Amino acid sequence: MTTLWPRLEPLLPRVSKPARYIGCEDGMQRPTVGPHLTSWLLAYPDTYEIGLPNQGLQILYELLNERPDASAERTYAPWIDLEAEMRAAGLPLFSVDTHRAADEFDIIAFNLSAELVYTNVLNCIDLAGLEVRSAQRSDADPLIGAGGHCAYNPEPLADFVDFFVVGDGEEVVSEITEAVGAWKRTGKRPGTRATILRDLAGIEGVYVPAMYDVAYDGPAVAAVTPKYPDVPAQVAKRTVADLAEWPYPRRQLVPVTEVVHDRLSVEVFRGCTRGCRFCQAGMITRPVRERPAAQVREMVTAGLERSGYDEVSLMSLSTADYSGIAELVRDTVTGGNITAGEAGGTSDTAGGAGASNTNGADANRISVSLPSMRVDAFTVDVAAQVSRARRTGLTFAPEAGSWRLRQIINKLITEEDLYGAVRSAYSQGWHRMKLYFLTGLPSEMDPDTEAIAHLADACTRIGQEYTKRASVTVSLGGFVPKPHTPFQWFGQNPPEELARKVRLVRSALGRNRRVQLKWHDPAASTAEGIVSRGDRRVGAVIEYVWRKGGTFQEWSERFDLGLWEEAMAACGLSLDWYVYRHRGPHEVLPWDHIGAGLHRDFLWHDWQDALAGHGLPDCRWTPCYDCGACTEYGIEHMVASPVAPNGGSQGTGQDLATGHMVPVELRPRQLAGAGAPSGNGA
Amino acid sequence: MAHDALGPGAGAEMQCRSHPRGWEMSLRLRVRFSKVGKIRFIGHRDVARVTERAVRKVGLPVAYSQGFSPRMKLSFGLALPTGYESDAEFVELPLVADAVRDPSAAEPGARHAAGPVIAGRSGDHAPCEHGPPSAAPSYCTVAEALSEALPMGMDVSAVTLVDGRGPSLQAAVHSCGWEFDIVGLDATAAAKAVADFLAAGTVVTERVHKGETVSSDIRPSVEVLQVVGCSDRGAVLSAELSATPRVVRPSELVPALAPALEMGIARRTHQWTSGAAGRAEPAVPAVCAQRHKEPISG
Ligand code: SF4
Repeated sequence: MTTLWPRLEPLLPRVSKPARYIGCEDGMQRPTVGPHLTSWLLAYPDTYEIGLPNQGLQILYELLNERPDASAERTYAPWIDLEAEMRAAGLPLFSVDTHRAADEFDIIAFNLSAELVYTNVLNCIDLAGLEVRSAQRSDADPLIGAGGHCAYNPEPLADFVDFFVVGDGEEVVSEITEAVGAWKRTGKRPGTRATILRDLAGIEGVYVPAMYDVAYDGPAVAAVTPKYPDVPAQVAKRTVADLAEWPYPRRQLVPVTEVVHDRLSVEVFRGCTRGCRFCQAGMITRPVRERPAAQVREMVTAGLERSGYDEVSLMSLSTADYSGIAELVRDTVTGGNITAGEAGGTSDTAGGAGASNTNGADANRISVSLPSMRVDAFTVDVAAQVSRARRTGLTFAPEAGSWRLRQIINKLITEEDLYGAVRSAYSQGWHRMKLYFLTGLPSEMDPDTEAIAHLADACTRIGQEYTKRASVTVSLGGFVPKPHTPFQWFGQNPPEELARKVRLVRSALGRNRRVQLKWHDPAASTAEGIVSRGDRRVGAVIEYVWRKGGTFQEWSERFDLGLWEEAMAACGLSLDWYVYRHRGPHEVLPWDHIGAGLHRDFLWHDWQDALAGHGLPDCRWTPCYDCGACTEYGIEHMVASPVAPNGGSQGTGQDLATGHMVPVELRPRQLAGAGAPSGNGA
Repeated sequence: MAHDALGPGAGAEMQCRSHPRGWEMSLRLRVRFSKVGKIRFIGHRDVARVTERAVRKVGLPVAYSQGFSPRMKLSFGLALPTGYESDAEFVELPLVADAVRDPSAAEPGARHAAGPVIAGRSGDHAPCEHGPPSAAPSYCTVAEALSEALPMGMDVSAVTLVDGRGPSLQAAVHSCGWEFDIVGLDATAAAKAVADFLAAGTVVTERVHKGETVSSDIRPSVEVLQVVGCSDRGAVLSAELSATPRVVRPSELVPALAPALEMGIARRTHQWTSGAAGRAEPAVPAVCAQRHKEPISG
């Protein structure tokens, strides 16, 4: 093992944010290497500050390093300034842990959280000194793996990545470690790369693109077929049945420089069955698996004490839906008190409310953030408590402007829910908030789009009852249909249409100075659309864009749709075919050979129901409608409460009007000096 | 024993011991720490963040600001440029009123006999102490506990108690001591460059300030400059540069000393204030404060 640090160090004074490249996090591991260890380089193909907080990557980092037969380090995409220095100095991609060269690892595994990072994946493989195309790499080269939500349509990266992991990674990395370890011990002899790939293809949840032939019928995919009888025709996702068995990360990485989510994160449940039809995350992570509340408390207490953080985020796709969220939040806040109090240690927190603290005020400063709060959960009480935390932004996501359209996307939030939440926020001292909407949704008509402006306008009028400074930021995202959702057949709006809808909202807002309009670049939605539902032929487009210097396409200052259009033309592919047209019921979809657990029939029927304006209930609290996620896997929801916390399960006829009475309570943060005599004595 | 380590702030301790009620006065812990190795690449705001977390991990009873969004009231000395190393960084932590217990109330163990005791998460701490590093697994001093809680390369070399009403460190520091090397400069050339520099009446160099190139005469800011050795990169120079009216950095000297060459690594060795008996440092490292963690930089 050789560290590249002495060669990297002189380059760092010349680049922006050099702390991106030093590692040094609390929780960083310094694994050893050896012939008996399968070494993984876990790569996040975007900048350090975006990639470091990624929980999936951190979980695998710990799990692998706990194994006696594996080691894991991390790498992130170097920003363009360092990349230029590295290329000039002949310095390859390196791990941030021991600054070892990427090509010394057995496996380089990428986390795919967004489509526009794909050109960075190619760039990282190239910076590692490897051929970007799998077929051209040699036997002893590292295997390139990938996982994460985008791996549910692996085809656009199929020519570059040796294997994909579909679904939860906790268990499958063990099997991969063992297979690759066995191969490593045989010396990775010439001609054996195909053998290890075939072995990997035999592991449940692992997709090896080289083991499949793709047949085309003109622009359409005719079939994707395994090359060998032992290779599965459809790769089914892996699902961890019980989150309680995986209390990770135990030692969350605490960075020494600023990152996008700089706080403790504890995953309280995985999966979501609200059934929002645009939401890929909700569809592919079913069923709902809650972490037991006692374990959450333990992870929060231990995590805060270890990290020194004063803020914890209770993570999930919709945290207000967690069974017993009120008790959990209360225990979290009081738990923080006890932990840092003079009692020390990790005593049980149940009796901790109101415990005074001889240490002064620091221990009272644990703030809890609940991401993905539904508006029907944001009550005056919640607003009052959250407002005491150091929380700058408040975002609500009605997603669509009209009730009609919200029924179509199955986001059953009433206007009253929204206004109630907004009123709560203004009444508790907020001056501004952000409302997030999608445009270009199926069946969206101009009145639906304009309704966005009306909602925003009504919100500012509510705000003016409380403050003259009341304002609202409306953020518009262009809808990109995602694989494995009911909307996967929908033809995406072209950028001109998305831009027109932005103008529509703007003119409907008139001269309302209290509403600030922001929108995601419609051109970026188009590029995302190419990759999101692309097939294997789109790989050439990604390579073209990368070769023309199109890295960091997630960054607006680096994004260039012209490059993507040029690449599509050069590869003879049509934007209309890949992005804008509606797809038919019998068409082979490029990701049909990847199983997300959802019956294709279910998705199609839900698509038809959507167009008919029918809602779909949440199967946590109403009978199973057999989408496939549980029934195909012999697993079930793991939910502690049989009752919907919001008092209503959408589409079930339960009373949604009272659905916003969520019993969430946060304890006020005590002000400085509380619990101890005042700071300046008297 | 402990008072030997207390530097100029020791007066606060003495005063308080003779006037027990004085413990209710506003007191600060003044902490001297290093920043060497890989960690030299984090910025000033990052240092503040990791220090805050370290203080919370140790559970030190620091005061928070009042108001809507209470913050830990840390105050640092002069900012260190990102990429520079240092043996002489300072931070002051204002303590809550009942944080420091009268030493007479402390348990009569030898460890605590000689100084005030500060309550922390893992038990009570003395600000600093002499003698060989403790072999005990728990950290008996604030210095050790903080060093353990801080990232690799940031280690605490002194902790003193000072009166909270004194001037801010930032305002008190009038000059800094530095050591830096110049890549590819040999000792002979370095000696001549230094001699020429010191002989010159004015030395005008350019630097970029807020996007504009500014030239100024840095000669008056250079109080001491000498060659002190050689690193594997080149000659090592030591300098004392004034911090008023503005802080002059070692990198500003390099164009004048060796126009074609680059600075290697610079390390701040001292921050000087004026004390009653001439210049003094805000806190002087104790003998026991050896680094218990080695920086990972080569
Ligand atoms: S299989 Fe049934 S219970 Fe499971 S997620 Fe699908 S609809 Fe819900």
